[in-house]
Amino acid sequence: MDKALLIQLGGSVVAVALLVAFAAWLGVARPTPPLDAQAARDLLAVEFPDHTPSAVWIAADGVGLIARAKNQALVIWRRGDSYVAREAAWSEVSGLQPRRGRISIRLGDGRPVFAVADDVWPPKELV
Amino acid sequence: MLTAPFDPVQLAIPFFVLAIVLEILLGRFGKAKANYETRDTAMSLTMGLGSTVAGILLGGVVFAATVWVWNHRIFTIPMTAVWAWVALFLLEDLTYYWFHRIAHERRFWWASHVNHHTSTHYNLSTALRQTWTGGVAGTWLLWLPLSFIGFPPAMVAIQKGVSLVYQFWIHTEAIKRMPAWFEAVFNTPSHHRVHHARNARYLDANYAGILIIWDRLFGTFIPETDEEPCRYGTVKNLGNFNLLHNVFHEWAGIGRDVAAAKSPREVIGYVFGPPGWSPDGSRDTSQMLKAKWRAREAAASRAAAAAKAPLPGGSPASHAGT
Repeated sequence: MDKALLIQLGGSVVAVALLVAFAAWLGVARPTPPLDAQAARDLLAVEFPDHTPSAVWIAADGVGLIARAKNQALVIWRRGDSYVAREAAWSEVSGLQPRRGRISIRLGDGRPVFAVADDVWPPKELV
Repeated sequence: MLTAPFDPVQLAIPFFVLAIVLEILLGRFGKAKANYETRDTAMSLTMGLGSTVAGILLGGVVFAATVWVWNHRIFTIPMTAVWAWVALFLLEDLTYYWFHRIAHERRFWWASHVNHHTSTHYNLSTALRQTWTGGVAGTWLLWLPLSFIGFPPAMVAIQKGVSLVYQFWIHTEAIKRMPAWFEAVFNTPSHHRVHHARNARYLDANYAGILIIWDRLFGTFIPETDEEPCRYGTVKNLGNFNLLHNVFHEWAGIGRDVAAAKSPREVIGYVFGPPGWSPDGSRDTSQMLKAKWRAREAAASRAAAAAKAPLPGGSPASHAGT
């Protein structure tokens, strides 16, 4: 690789780092307040429009939710300032063990962590 | 005739940087709609940088193939003729439309293009979230016929660069609508927002590069509506901010599906079928998602009409109040 190309590449790396730092400093992310019942319903309607959840549990820290639709668990969690949705088998989700007030679910490419009140799982809302 | 005397993309890089800075500032001071999330921005800009490196690594192969094709050209088109530039502008843009359409509607090419769509934001940094694997996927082959007709490789390279630079500024929410005549002919922020949207009603639409006329011509145009704002990203948003996962996740998905395929037909379907194809229809393609959305809309319309219809022995208003 010639020298000019290496210099150009190095300069580009520095420019990217500076731009990211600038975005971190002054960029305005979307507001993502802790979920409440209405926000949870809205998210479910957008992410799972063909499901009819029978029960919804919102994590104690408000960063995500788990809804139950028959034998499926509909999981939504915050990633950055957006949300990610995945389905899982309710049997797997209900069998999770909370540790230090949190449960962690492995869902393919994501591993959301939810705060659980009183280390009780599954919560009464979903049973 | 073979190598371009200048690269429009290289020349535009300072403008890209300044425009992103300006957009961030406009968002910060509430002068325009512009959201930036740090890890999302980092991913977009790193993808852009990596894409340049990937382009350099494969550039020799692409260049050699282009020159070989041009050496077997039908005509010799002069680089100095205005008509030649006009013709190339239209033909290159048409080529881009079909490349882009295939890149969305066939999984093999979607695997290399999907990472441009994984941002849940729509800002100028998203424009730089470019592919690393497009060269390997062979999408550049679609441009070879231009050189075979007789357009010099340098001319084609410049026009491709112009198209890429044009498409930078349309990745923004800061501009709502352009004048009507402009919206009718050119690709605009509004049209391209629809293209990046994950709402079922907007899927697989507005593939244009510079001219939106191709979408109008081939029936893939969908206008942005105020009643349903665009939500950005992919149908199934990524579950993490891992750069390599963003680059390779769909390729890995193809690999897993092919490994589990039970017949050659399934292999072909998984590789060259539309994204979301499955032998038993258990996954959703864009068409299936749109069909479900249409069904929901129709059901909602029927329900609304039924609610408005007068009921025997009472008015709709009295019914609604019960």
